[in-house]
Amino acid sequence: MRLPFSPWHLFLAPVAAVMLVPFVWMVIISLETEQQARSFPPVLAPSTLHFSNYATAWNSVPFGDFFLNSAMYSLATVAGNLLFCSLAAYAFARIKFFGREVLFVVLLATLMVPFQVILIPTFLIVKKMGLVDNVGGLIMPNLCSAFGIFMLRQFFRTLPIELEEAARIDGTSRLGILFKIVLPLSLPALATLGIIQFMWSWNDFLWPLIIIDSASHAPLQLGLSTLQGAHSTQWNLLMAGTVMSLIPMMAIFLFAQRWFIRSIAFTGIKQ
Amino acid sequence: MSAHAQTRPGRAASSGRPGRVKRLLASEHLAGWAFVAPAVILIAVFALIPIGWSLLLSLQANNLIAPPHYVGLANYKTLTKDAAFRSAIGHTLIYTAVFVPVSVVGALGLAVALNRKIRGIRLYRLAVFVPLVTSTVATGIIFLWLLDPTFGLVNYLLSLVGLPQQQFLQDPNEALYCIAAMTIWGWLGFDVIIYLAALQGIPTDLLEAAEIDGASRWATFRSVVVPLLGPATLFLVVWSTINALQLFDEIYVTTRGGPLGSTTVIVYYLYQQAFQFFNAGYGAAIAYVLFLAVLLVTLLQLWIGRRRVYYSS
Amino acid sequence: MKRVVLILLSGALALCGCGGASSSSSTSAGAGNGHTTITVWEGYTSIETKAIEALAAEFNATHPHITVDVQFSGNSDYALQKVLAAIAGGKPPDISYLYGSWAPNIATNPQVVTLNKLIAEDPTFDWNDFWPSERKVATVGGKIVGVPALVDNLALVYNKQLFAKAGLALPTAAWTWSDFENAAIKLTDTAAKQFGWAYVNDASEDTVWRYWAMLWQAGGAILSPDGKHAAFDSPAGVKALTVLQSLAKQHAIYLDNGSDNYLGLFTSGHIGMLWTGPWDLATIAASKVSYGVQTLPGDANHQTISGPDNWVMFDNGAAHRQASWTFLKWLTSPSVDLKWSLMTGDLPIRESVTKLPEYARFTSRYPGIAVWVKNLANATQARPVTTAYPKISTAIGQAVQSVLLGKSTPEQALSQAAQQVNGILAVPE
Repeated sequence: MRLPFSPWHLFLAPVAAVMLVPFVWMVIISLETEQQARSFPPVLAPSTLHFSNYATAWNSVPFGDFFLNSAMYSLATVAGNLLFCSLAAYAFARIKFFGREVLFVVLLATLMVPFQVILIPTFLIVKKMGLVDNVGGLIMPNLCSAFGIFMLRQFFRTLPIELEEAARIDGTSRLGILFKIVLPLSLPALATLGIIQFMWSWNDFLWPLIIIDSASHAPLQLGLSTLQGAHSTQWNLLMAGTVMSLIPMMAIFLFAQRWFIRSIAFTGIKQ
Repeated sequence: MSAHAQTRPGRAASSGRPGRVKRLLASEHLAGWAFVAPAVILIAVFALIPIGWSLLLSLQANNLIAPPHYVGLANYKTLTKDAAFRSAIGHTLIYTAVFVPVSVVGALGLAVALNRKIRGIRLYRLAVFVPLVTSTVATGIIFLWLLDPTFGLVNYLLSLVGLPQQQFLQDPNEALYCIAAMTIWGWLGFDVIIYLAALQGIPTDLLEAAEIDGASRWATFRSVVVPLLGPATLFLVVWSTINALQLFDEIYVTTRGGPLGSTTVIVYYLYQQAFQFFNAGYGAAIAYVLFLAVLLVTLLQLWIGRRRVYYSS
Repeated sequence: MKRVVLILLSGALALCGCGGASSSSSTSAGAGNGHTTITVWEGYTSIETKAIEALAAEFNATHPHITVDVQFSGNSDYALQKVLAAIAGGKPPDISYLYGSWAPNIATNPQVVTLNKLIAEDPTFDWNDFWPSERKVATVGGKIVGVPALVDNLALVYNKQLFAKAGLALPTAAWTWSDFENAAIKLTDTAAKQFGWAYVNDASEDTVWRYWAMLWQAGGAILSPDGKHAAFDSPAGVKALTVLQSLAKQHAIYLDNGSDNYLGLFTSGHIGMLWTGPWDLATIAASKVSYGVQTLPGDANHQTISGPDNWVMFDNGAAHRQASWTFLKWLTSPSVDLKWSLMTGDLPIRESVTKLPEYARFTSRYPGIAVWVKNLANATQARPVTTAYPKISTAIGQAVQSVLLGKSTPEQALSQAAQQVNGILAVPE
């Protein structure tokens, strides 16, 4: 007996539902009154939906500024990581240079110290560069991360080396190989790194708190935290703001899916 | 065996003349370093220098407020006698041992399920991605409600099927596992999108060949797909371990190290020392001990990976 | 190829330059042209943010030589990290809102301005007009390190409808612990998921300070008079903790995990009584609950505990000090503070505010608030002002939590905590 739909739906639909519970909860809370939003147990079926909360949230804090600052921060770090991590990962994957293994471990080691410990010295360095209270101060420490280097190295190493060797014989430079052969074959990996880095910058709270002083320079999460008091949080507005901040990330994810549907043409290469 | 047989088949015989080889080799080193230079500079300035600074901090009695003074290795000596630190290590190890395997294996299964061309697959993938981008604060609030012993949804569901009510985050024996469940749920999407990207790179002709040979779907999966996902798996195991050993945010927004210290993990203990007890020098020492441990574990994993992981080249 | 990399790097740097205004220069032109700009860091949200911005604007308009720049520095723990970073960078803000519990540690910073002289030289300031609990918290080793920014205390808030349903007489100012326990048990209905009382049980200071109130009510003390030994493991301390144990065993207490869900439960009628402060009043007043406020039930006395916070001044030069002092004097003056209270519902920080003619507007706008103000007279003791207090708090928090969770007896828990605290106090500050 054939089902009218793929049997995979029977597995994926419940899983997706479980995954979406918090998002649905956030949307519901964002449409409630302040009293309802503060209720415990939560009010899950409000009688009226207050879509006006979104406009109120947008106007109660400088949302436009927050979005702009976050956009600059996130796009810059994505661009920086994609570029610098690709260059470095290619070298680690394909070029045998002196000290390669040791250097790789040293870079990887920078992922092993919790940020709370290094936030003050990082602040001091950025301060010395004159970038306090400035989007540049947000961006600089996050332009390149060992995470991206590690991830792209793994992906580059799975590519068959024959293509690159053929190009080298043809006289293509290393840089040319990277940009003309390796990167085009690595679009899913690059898209993944882009999504992840975008998400990290978009959701960053602690570093912006330390480096930014004025509300006009604050990115999203820092800006949203002004709606969240120690004792007096306006939950409905906070959730409206949070939902609004999630939309761009979801849009970028959906957009990046185009590189995941298209399968890479490997046919013709014999292992 | 002649000398030429040692060169790999298909490679040009340009390595015949010593002078050119030497120059090639020299340019290899230069090329390598040139490629990594921007990354190295950025990471050196913004990560390595701060890490060095905190090494100095760990050698001081410093509350980050009054002028500090150096105390040599005193902080480290105190750490060896610190029972609370030992507990924190235990909690962290238990958490890591649960988190890493479950999330990596679970993500693999989920990624395979999501690597289909069925209708709505993009939305399913988006659904798996959403917990990842939900802020830790929101996730914490939701789980605190779901797991509330009296009013929570989970206990309600348990009562419907006749299972006993649990205390979850209020039970010192259960809290850490609840945190593990919460973080696995939150991070699954991360591992899934990495696996999805890796699955894209699996040559379809290999899969077709296996099918023609009569291999079952499961056998194909086990002997073709899984080995080819080796590099991604190694990456995820290393990354998940590094992350799990540094767990902090989810503890901060839910249990705050409790109940009765049962969810105090190393980084949370560090945070307490530095920012609640004003003992930042001691906190830095904790960070360094953690750093060495993570480094050793990672090196071990990479070493195992080098021997077991198959790269196509 | 190197050229490409160089171009990209310089592009990144250029991006930084156009990324926003120039780096913060709020501590700018000094006394040269007679104008000073001072930065004030605070963690206010919603109503309080609007209030501080309104007041700062009023100050700026009426004081042409000073500009106050109010900046959001994060709330609770996060504010501390930001302030510590600023201190490390050598440029702390001119004024910062800091929790009272941080005062002993913050006071070790040489840039913190000691206010004794400024206060002594200014007869109009009237330091003694501030409530005793505030003055205690702002004074570290004889040095006054902050101007009070906020004061509160714990009072009993109850649901009149639930009391009527249970046939109980409403709480009076003469209520004893046994009256309270009796009511808590009668208000508990486990099948209906209703609790008589709520207690924050996350082992944080929120868990601890409620216990201190009970300890003091039983006639106990936290530390010995010389501050060198624990004194809470006395019969009074055990008695107080036994009340918690007994009520918890009978499921009369909703154990809040720190997320303050107790408030939502109270407003939806699931909890009969709360020990809480003015910060919850706005939510309770806007709900459907018919509520009442009363002083805490007592044993030997009806003492309560107060949690004042401070405005701390950092020394960024004579001109900035002068401007900061002028602003703080103005902000905490009786008439301005009354404006603040009217806007936010926070308690007046000066006793003389209660004597102002407009004060009646405050008590009528926030029904029940007058009880908290009166209750300030019951806040006679304060927590020990020592840099070791956070560690002491952690030890007690664990003790109280373990009793509430039924994992140990009051005697065991307190004697273990006393051992830890004595060890902590043995280390010289």
